[in-house]
Amino acid sequence: MKKKKEGLYLSDRPPLSPLGKVLLVLSYVVLAIWSIVILWPLSQMVISSVNGTQTKNITMGRRFAFSLKHFEYLFNETNFLLWVRNTLFIAVATALLTLVIVSFTGFAYSRYRFKGRRMSLLAIMLIQTIPTFAGITAFYTMHSIISGFAPFFTRQLLLIFIYAGGGIASNTFILKGYIDSVSTELDDAARIDGCSNMQVYRLIIMPIARPMLSIIALWSFIGPFMDYMLAAILLTNNESLTLAPGLFTLINDTRTMNQPAFAAGGLLTAIPIIILFIALQNQLVSGLAQGSVKG
Amino acid sequence: MQVELKDIGKKYEGRENFTLRHIDLLIEEQSFCVILGPSGCGKSTLLRMIAGLNSITEGELIFNGKLMNKVPPKDRDIAMVFQSYALYPHMSVYDNMAFSLSLRKEPKEVIRERVLEAAEILQITEYLYNKPSDISGGQRQRVALGRAMVRKPRVFLMDEPLSNLDAKLREHMRVELVRLHKNLETTTIYVTHDQTEAMTMADMIVLMNDGKIMQQGTPEEFYHHPENLFVAGFIGSPTMNIYPGAIKDGAFHSSGGALVVEPSEKDAQALAPYEGKEVHMGIRSERILSGVEEKNTFQAEVDVIEMLGKEKLLNCKLQDGSDIVISVPGYFEYAVDEVHNFHFDLDALHFFDSETTERIGS
Ligand SMILES: Nc1ncnc2c1ncn2[C@@H]1O[C@H](COP(=O)(O)OP(=O)(O)OP(=O)(O)O)[C@@H](O)[C@H]1O
Ligand SMILES: [Mg+2]
Repeated sequence: MKKKKEGLYLSDRPPLSPLGKVLLVLSYVVLAIWSIVILWPLSQMVISSVNGTQTKNITMGRRFAFSLKHFEYLFNETNFLLWVRNTLFIAVATALLTLVIVSFTGFAYSRYRFKGRRMSLLAIMLIQTIPTFAGITAFYTMHSIISGFAPFFTRQLLLIFIYAGGGIASNTFILKGYIDSVSTELDDAARIDGCSNMQVYRLIIMPIARPMLSIIALWSFIGPFMDYMLAAILLTNNESLTLAPGLFTLINDTRTMNQPAFAAGGLLTAIPIIILFIALQNQLVSGLAQGSVKG
Repeated sequence: MQVELKDIGKKYEGRENFTLRHIDLLIEEQSFCVILGPSGCGKSTLLRMIAGLNSITEGELIFNGKLMNKVPPKDRDIAMVFQSYALYPHMSVYDNMAFSLSLRKEPKEVIRERVLEAAEILQITEYLYNKPSDISGGQRQRVALGRAMVRKPRVFLMDEPLSNLDAKLREHMRVELVRLHKNLETTTIYVTHDQTEAMTMADMIVLMNDGKIMQQGTPEEFYHHPENLFVAGFIGSPTMNIYPGAIKDGAFHSSGGALVVEPSEKDAQALAPYEGKEVHMGIRSERILSGVEEKNTFQAEVDVIEMLGKEKLLNCKLQDGSDIVISVPGYFEYAVDEVHNFHFDLDALHFFDSETTERIGS
């Protein structure tokens, strides 16, 4: 018969002391409180969004009756679908632009020695510390100048450039660090095998750095969903709004006030992000660089 | 392919001095050339310049009469095996081996045929569809070799390809590589810091130190005719016994005083101009004979005995306290702290000018 294990074991450590057990219970309590703090408002949002008895202002403790009328309102009475389209467009464009630029800069900073390499890296790092918001007047001016001779340059395009540009410095740093950890002998081998510089990146480095690139893509994709301020300031026309400022019009403007619809919109916003997470989850698993060189 | 280096030099950007300079080398078609040297002497740098991975600061690199200095690596018709193997981690073994051919847009069937052929020779057919991370170090090493083979290059470059393997496997792969070279008849340039590899595999050894070539020649020449003190001390295991001293009245007197050696007729002639000057004398452990002779006999006290099986290494102390290593057949009986008489095989003495460290005589 198997002897019953005495004591409480955590993974492969020695059994817990009485104090350890108390601490364990305490940490569970803290975690439980924490999740309640996060989950309760969220659950209220979800419940309110499908509660037919909620009117323009959400009030607690109302009778519950399931209904999708807030969603109907959202789709029929507001520009919600336009906002979704705008946000998706901006998010996808931002992610792609960021990926392309960061690929170049990260690879170049990791692999090439050129004049001003250190200085330029420092410079973009410093510039990054200035809040994007501080440049808002500059953005305005820039936009009016460019759109003067290129009318297709909309505010949305400007927003894409701001989002993408804002992430470049830190993402370059992150990607450079990741590529640094890939042995340069791989590049050498690829060059001898016949790769051009571009092919070294595209065929060798990029697949190895895919976990990192996925994370960068995910972050830059989420950015436009989360940002309220820049979008609210730069986009003035209700039809060109992104989701965050768009939905905000449902709670800050008495004429269009509809809090349950706001909750419904917030719920729907999470969907594309969740889909992306699921799609990328395999890529996010790192460890691809193992086994390339003898460890 | 014949590879010729003319007065090659390399200075890395940001460095004060040349890492390599005045390297002249002629590597014959189909030969197995080993570049040997201690760590940091510039072996990899030289190999990478031949590969085109590092630029050439000065001098000329010539393949079969064609100047190669500015030709990119992929057009040099070479293949390289790296110390870390540098397999592409995201590709299967098959794709790793097929990569260079598919970049050159070879037809699929040709690629398949060549990869399978190489896999057959290297006995890695079983692992063709595994990722490099899922196979052992020795197998990875073979894959790296296979990747180089499928291109049918005209020069193989290898940078310490065996240094990550365990001793047994290394021994096995040494033979395997020589066999492979015999079959493929490709010019091979092989970099290592392991003199055993150099001695066992090479047609021609190039010994480097501190960015300069110390000697080039066959393994026999290296062992029996080291051209200077560095070579004498580097090649051979155990290391050659080397003593500083001077020539007095035609005989070598070691500076400690324990050894007085009257050289052979031939050596004496070569040493004549060195009368009264400082020279080093060297002798390999296995050329010291036991027993008393009328001349050149010395006494040594056995200090430590290393039993290697077929031979024993006696680490002895001379009367003046200096060390001497003597190898004797393994079945000879010696005990620690015994004092024995030995003498030199006079045909096996090496003399070097202490000032220039160059060999005296032939
Ligand atoms: N990229 C580089 N930039 C500057 N100096 C370098 C570079 N690569 C190598 N060196 C220098 O050149 C010298 C020779 O290096 P190299 O790698 O050729 O030595 P090695 O003989 O291959 O040594 P090991 O046996 O340890 O591999 C070293 O002093 C090294 O510091
Ligand atoms: Mg090296």
